[in-house]
Amino acid sequence: MVATTAQQPFILARIPASSWSFAVRVWLATILALFVSFWLQLEAPATAAVTVGVLAEPTRGQALDKAGFRLMATIAGVTAAITITGLFSQLRDLMLAACAVWLGVCVFAARLLDGYRAYAAVLAGYTVAIIATQQIDNPQHVFQAGMERGAAIAVGIMSMALANAFLFAPERHSWLAAQLAALHRRVRAYASATFQREEDNSAVFLPLVREIVGLRPEIGSAALESSSGSIRSAAARNVAVGLLAQLQAARVIKPVPARSVDRQDYAPDVAAETSAWKTRELRRLDDDVRQELLALRSIKWPSRLRRAPLYLSYRNAAESGLRAALWFALAATFFVWTGWSAASASLSFLASIAALGAITPNPRGFTVVALFGAPISVALAGLLEFILLDGTDAFPVLALALAPFTIGSALLATSHNPMWSALGRINLFAIPTMLAPSNPETYNPQTFLFTSLFFVASIAILLVAQTLIPPISDEKQRMRLLAAARRELQEADNKMGADEATFREASRIGQFLSAGGAQDGRALADMLACLDQSAMIRLCNAKLIQVTDSALAPLAHQASAALATRNTATLRIIARVLREKAPHKASIEAETAACLVATSNAFDQDGLDSAQEAR
Amino acid sequence: MMAHTFRELVVGGVLVAPFVTYAVAGFAIIIVLRPLLNAVGFARMFSHAAIAQLSLYVAVLCLLMLLF
Repeated sequence: MVATTAQQPFILARIPASSWSFAVRVWLATILALFVSFWLQLEAPATAAVTVGVLAEPTRGQALDKAGFRLMATIAGVTAAITITGLFSQLRDLMLAACAVWLGVCVFAARLLDGYRAYAAVLAGYTVAIIATQQIDNPQHVFQAGMERGAAIAVGIMSMALANAFLFAPERHSWLAAQLAALHRRVRAYASATFQREEDNSAVFLPLVREIVGLRPEIGSAALESSSGSIRSAAARNVAVGLLAQLQAARVIKPVPARSVDRQDYAPDVAAETSAWKTRELRRLDDDVRQELLALRSIKWPSRLRRAPLYLSYRNAAESGLRAALWFALAATFFVWTGWSAASASLSFLASIAALGAITPNPRGFTVVALFGAPISVALAGLLEFILLDGTDAFPVLALALAPFTIGSALLATSHNPMWSALGRINLFAIPTMLAPSNPETYNPQTFLFTSLFFVASIAILLVAQTLIPPISDEKQRMRLLAAARRELQEADNKMGADEATFREASRIGQFLSAGGAQDGRALADMLACLDQSAMIRLCNAKLIQVTDSALAPLAHQASAALATRNTATLRIIARVLREKAPHKASIEAETAACLVATSNAFDQDGLDSAQEAR
Repeated sequence: MMAHTFRELVVGGVLVAPFVTYAVAGFAIIIVLRPLLNAVGFARMFSHAAIAQLSLYVAVLCLLMLLF
């Protein structure tokens, strides 16, 4: 099944065939969505075309996953819009305030989620702006507008699903299995490199962490794809969690640095035993991942289900939400003050750009890209509407005229250059929005001009608002993440499994890197030190729990306490006692002793490093 | 000939089109059937499992419309 990836890809005009087929799929789905919307006489056919643009994802599973979230978020957003309109129908200012609060709440929720879940949260936020704010002058239309939007989105989703099924869109799960296997190879290579040389290689470690944590939202996408999707998704999640555990263990279970070997209490046999335990531990974790990969390939329910929890930074999320609400409130105040007639449409554009930007690492950068991208979309939509179509009312002509724009944007979206890719994505839904195809098409230059002007103006106003109230700074986010890492290291909690806790901490490293952490070397080193220490503590605690011999239980308790206070001398003494009591070399007592010795070495090494740094 | 009458679902005074009811019910049935389909190896029986599943959904949908 995976063998096809090894073949030489077919390339046309320096673009791989897979990108071409993706672009053609998107174009056909757009035509189908528009055709069905016209046939059903929906009020908002443009929304169906925009939905196809939004769901333009390379694989079937991702498109379905995003579609499900888009539908649920729309239902939540429409419900909120109806509630807000019902509560404040004659009170303009209160209604705008309620919209701002709702947007803030949704951005807060989005910052606690990842992938399409985060997208769904912000969509629920700006759906209210699209429906309630646009209909602020005639609240009796809110329900109708909500239904029309929901119907158009459903048509868009079905069109994309049909196009993907009949045109053989690639499956997410086969890619996922190949990706995970490749990651496993890289983790193994990292492990053997680290085990042979004592220096740690963060340049290899950090991208691996980022990639494995980044796979988390995509793992869920495999669930909807086929009848065995949920099994594959669960197995893939297990692999990802196992891979991170293996990676982290490879990082902390390093050979003993030469400097500390000459310590008095470090007898050669202890060194040999510890080293043997390290090899066994790494092999066990590697076998674990291999088993999980096997389960993924053979589509069997894994014997145990592991969760892949994310680190939730409530304070960062709350601050982002508050700022998003303030941007909306500021812009709304400005629009109320100007009293422009199309202010409501502008405000809904503004809300969507602000909300979509809030889930990117750099909201203001997103607004700047949108500010440059919007005039391009407007120019392209104008070219399409007034030069290419220019008054035509035949559907086939519309379909043909859309081809270069939709296919071109979709091809751009597949580009590896993030700038081109973002531009392509923006055009995929901005061109249908600007064109606003309807049956019959009106071709009103005045409406087009006003819509475009307000579209660009709303982005400019958002940029002004974001300059007055800047988005939460990267440095502040990093400081909070580091403080949380240090705090959690002090108060270890054992509510989570060891591997799951490792995944959660790795996701925090991922968030730290997203907030520009790679440039902040000192804080990054601190973050990694916290990660390493807590991983060692978890490893020891897991071993100590297994020491069930009642005579040794008080000793295990003492060891836990010594771990919490980093008392390495006590740890070494306890390890010696445990080693003496151990019936044989592979017993749990001996393993625990080896683990405690390795941990005290790591603690001492950290202390040595920080002392050297201070000097 | 027997004339088929479609009943509209009324939720809080809002009429829901019969087709929507059938489509959602069909989707629910497919979701419930998934473990069974997996057990019999449905995905391995076809070269294009996605189309096969879509066809199954259409068949369930049409059966629902015919029977209820």
